[in-house]
Amino acid sequence: MTNEAIIKLEHVSKQLAMKDGGEEIVTTILPDISFDILRGDFTAITGPSGSGKTTLLYLMGGLDKPTSGRVILDDQEISSLKEEELAEMRNARLGFVYQFHFLLPEFSALENVMMPMLARGRSSLNQAKERASDLLDRLGLSDKVRNKPNQLSGGQQQRVAIARALANNPMVILADEPTGNLDSQSAEMIYDLFSELNRETRQTIVVVTHDEHFASKTKRILHILDGKLNSDRILE
Amino acid sequence: MIMKSNYHLFMIAFRQLLNRKRQTFLTLLGISVGVMVLITAVSLMDGLLQGFIQKIVDIAPHVIVSGERVKPPVPDQLVTSRNGTHVIFIKNISREEQEVIRNYPRVESLIESDSLVQLVSPLVSTDVIGMFGTISEPIRLFGIFPSKENGIEKFSSGMVSGNYGALERTPDGILLGTTVAKDFTVRLGDRMQIVAPSGTIYSVRVAGIVKTGINDIDDNCYVNMRLGQNIGGFSPDEASYIYIRVNDLPKNGLVAHTIEQETNYKAMTWEQKAASVVALFKMISGIVYFLVFFVIMVAGFGVANVLITNVMEKARDIAILKSIGFKRSEIILVYLIQGVLVAVIGAAIGCILGFILIEIMSSIPMASSGQSLVSSSHLMMGKNPMYFVMASIFAIVVSLAAAVGPSRNAARVNPVEILRGER
Repeated sequence: MTNEAIIKLEHVSKQLAMKDGGEEIVTTILPDISFDILRGDFTAITGPSGSGKTTLLYLMGGLDKPTSGRVILDDQEISSLKEEELAEMRNARLGFVYQFHFLLPEFSALENVMMPMLARGRSSLNQAKERASDLLDRLGLSDKVRNKPNQLSGGQQQRVAIARALANNPMVILADEPTGNLDSQSAEMIYDLFSELNRETRQTIVVVTHDEHFASKTKRILHILDGKLNSDRILE
Repeated sequence: MIMKSNYHLFMIAFRQLLNRKRQTFLTLLGISVGVMVLITAVSLMDGLLQGFIQKIVDIAPHVIVSGERVKPPVPDQLVTSRNGTHVIFIKNISREEQEVIRNYPRVESLIESDSLVQLVSPLVSTDVIGMFGTISEPIRLFGIFPSKENGIEKFSSGMVSGNYGALERTPDGILLGTTVAKDFTVRLGDRMQIVAPSGTIYSVRVAGIVKTGINDIDDNCYVNMRLGQNIGGFSPDEASYIYIRVNDLPKNGLVAHTIEQETNYKAMTWEQKAASVVALFKMISGIVYFLVFFVIMVAGFGVANVLITNVMEKARDIAILKSIGFKRSEIILVYLIQGVLVAVIGAAIGCILGFILIEIMSSIPMASSGQSLVSSSHLMMGKNPMYFVMASIFAIVVSLAAAVGPSRNAARVNPVEILRGER
């Protein structure tokens, strides 16, 4: 079971075309990369800035499309899906956590966590409220449910964002530098939270980070350099 | 069910608007003022037109039969070609200058026999010179049967001074319209002189002063039929006009047609008589509505402005919503809801303000200039729930149209660009 690949990247390349004056400049971010993420895995993607880590994450999450190659999520090729199908897939099977919490500022912690459940009319208001409440409780935020994002600390905001990512019980959590904007104590709390989630619920987690300490807490480290897979280390 | 399942979209829309309180307030104000101005303008124009029509219908004849013939009288041509001269004779033409209804009692009884007719009042009309003290002015004088004419022009309820019944009992009495009385500065019981077209001077006593509110009537004066015929030089069986009131106003056209067929005298409905005035009213209304349309359009720009700013400012939130699986249509709906929310709240406030403004305007006393067609003590404002419904629908449609562009822009937000901080 655990050896089954949940995400597959097959010869994926990504080029960006930018206009500079009248001239079109094509930049290759990922020349050709292939790897698998296994179900229940806790993987860190590391590498220097500009190496293409975040692009990889967006490709895996269907937020961006590869120039060539295939991205397969749970046996379904997502690189060819239409925008609406991708939105449905992101909502049902994936959870995102970003470097900045990106919570909706006008809504309370509870309401932010409810949003993915309410999108597409997936859950009723009461169901969403109940589950969001449970999730925040699990992440130690039961006394902050009514607080707006600006009334929470950086660590608390990030935990709310993780609760939101978990809202629809996704297959995979994709996190982009989730501790990049936190003090060391809050960052430690987030590392532990991810480890715990992976250990207890077998949640598949992919984290992009350049924090070596965080990466060392995962089970596998994919090191990217200039858009290529430089090393693939299993830690356990 | 739709409301319930889109509750979260409604809340996103609502809270984003609430987040920009000042701009949202100004936009609401724009819509409110637009709706208020539209409602008030419609009420004013409709009130004037309806008030005019109502007064006409109440105290003006529904059909006027005049001496003019539908088909010209056939000349009895006696043509002789002696010495190359042609002579045409037309019999029974006594006064060429004035067309009159001959043998009016016969015509009157013919008209009265129509079951659609309620009241018939024959009268004569003459342009004379009125004199009082040093003042002399041309006036139009009507000879009437006071009790019959009262059924049509409702003089008795508009008496400013004197008793209307006194006119019938005073053979030399004259009833003056309020404008004429003011011009001559005469009072009840005063004697004034009337110079007939023939040059004869008649002395008459002011038996009453009347104000109907229709200046066309208040500019005239009235004497008994017999005196009117004498002054105007009419024979006892001649009348200038026959005024008619019908039982059912929309059928006045039919009555007029029947009279023309049966008597060959021209019969004119009040609509035909007032056609140019009604057309003028409608043209002015059109111009007013056109101008008010722009007020609402400007309010629409306000809606577009607040939504464009919201979409730009909330690009990151839109990107997040998309990344967690919101559909394009859901994003579009958020901003359409914002447009409708602003419009509905703005229209509701505009309706309340419009209602208050109509009440205030209709209570403003208005001095009659004497120049207008219909005078009234207050501004005649129309009151119809449809003004509010139509103005609100219009504001909502304009706001929705204004929201379409920003909503589509919101749906086009590329989450990757935003999340990477490229925008």
